[in-house]
Formats: sequence, structure tokens, C-alpha cells
Amino acid sequence: MLILTRKLNEEIVIDSNVRIKILALNDNQLKIGIEAPQNVKIFRGELYDKIVREMEEAIKKSSEPVERISKLKVNRIKSIK
Amino acid sequence: MKINTSHFGELEFGEDRIIRFAEGILGFEELKEYLLLKSDDEIFYWLTSIEKPEIVFPLIAIRLIDSEYIEKPESEAFGIVKLDTDPSNITVNLKAPVYINQEMKVGVQTILDADKYPISYSLFTEETD
Repeated sequence: MLILTRKLNEEIVIDSNVRIKILALNDNQLKIGIEAPQNVKIFRGELYDKIVREMEEAIKKSSEPVERISKLKVNRIKSIK
Repeated sequence: MKINTSHFGELEFGEDRIIRFAEGILGFEELKEYLLLKSDDEIFYWLTSIEKPEIVFPLIAIRLIDSEYIEKPESEAFGIVKLDTDPSNITVNLKAPVYINQEMKVGVQTILDADKYPISYSLFTEETD
């Protein structure tokens, strides 16, 4: 892992088209601004990891038997109005 | 082309059936080509990797769950399903939907910002018809 030290308002440039800026510093929180092209996907790390774990589990369970399902009722989201 | 699938056995298909995911599926970014398979009697689809046919994502059309779900033009939103022998444990990922344009044969997966969409949404209610 590359480790850089930055101060408030300083930036990091990645690949000449991604800029990361330190916007605010608190006790245990950092506010970061990211400028990147549309096709660059940006996720919070823990959310990305959670979703990938969910994908892996979905694959693992994809061969579980599903016979009785035609008798069940789909849990619909009621519209919020 | 020919692949061996766990759900449908050996499958032969034309190039025109291939759905291309330019950016892949999260965690499986290197896999770009899929088949969208469906058996008539089930509500599930099987998004099967052509490059690695053991990789299968069970999908459900999200319109069956939420009629006001976030749409993308010309595409249908699908949720990745986590199956289970006990139906009450079956969940759908509404946070990271897969949008498929069956006309153009392209697909994309997104993570939605809205907090109201859970990663593990229970697919079935307790009551039966």
C-alpha cells in the first residue's frame, strides 16, 4: 500500500483524471472530495465489500432447490403515498 | 457456441443471445458475457456466465416486488436472489440491481444511493395463496 500524508485542502491525483481532496478534518472523521470521470465507479469500501460478499453467497446458493416457490406470495413493497 | 450449465445442462446458443456486461458484475469484473435463462414455470431467471458457466446469478424482475423501483430507459431491473431451501430465508438484493436491455443485449449493475433499498430483502411473505 502506498501511504501519503496530506494536509487540509491538499490533493492527490490518480492517473491524471482522478483528484482526491481533503475538505475537512475532525476528530475521527475526514471529509474527502473526489473528482473523477463518469465511468469511474466510487463506493464506500464497506458497502462494496458487503455487496460482493452477497454476490458470492448468491452464486453459492444458486443450486438450492426451489420447487415449492410457486405457492408462495411475493413480498411486495407498498407504494409510499 | 456451447456451454455446460448446472441448471440447464448443455446449452447451444447463437452469438445473438449473449448479453454483454462491459463493466462486469461487482466482484466478478473480469466476466463480461452472460446468458439470461428462464424456465417457464419459475419466477427466476439465471444469469449464467459464458466464460465461467459455474457462475450463475439467480435473478428476479424487480417490478414483481416494487412497481416504483428506479428505472433505466429500455432496460429491465433485476435483483440478484440468494436462494435457500427454506423460502423464508430467500432474499433479493435491491441495493445493487442488474439492469438488462434485452433488445441491445447489454447489462449493467449499479449500486443505488437511496438508503431505502436493502441488500437482503425477504422475497416471500409468510402467507400463502
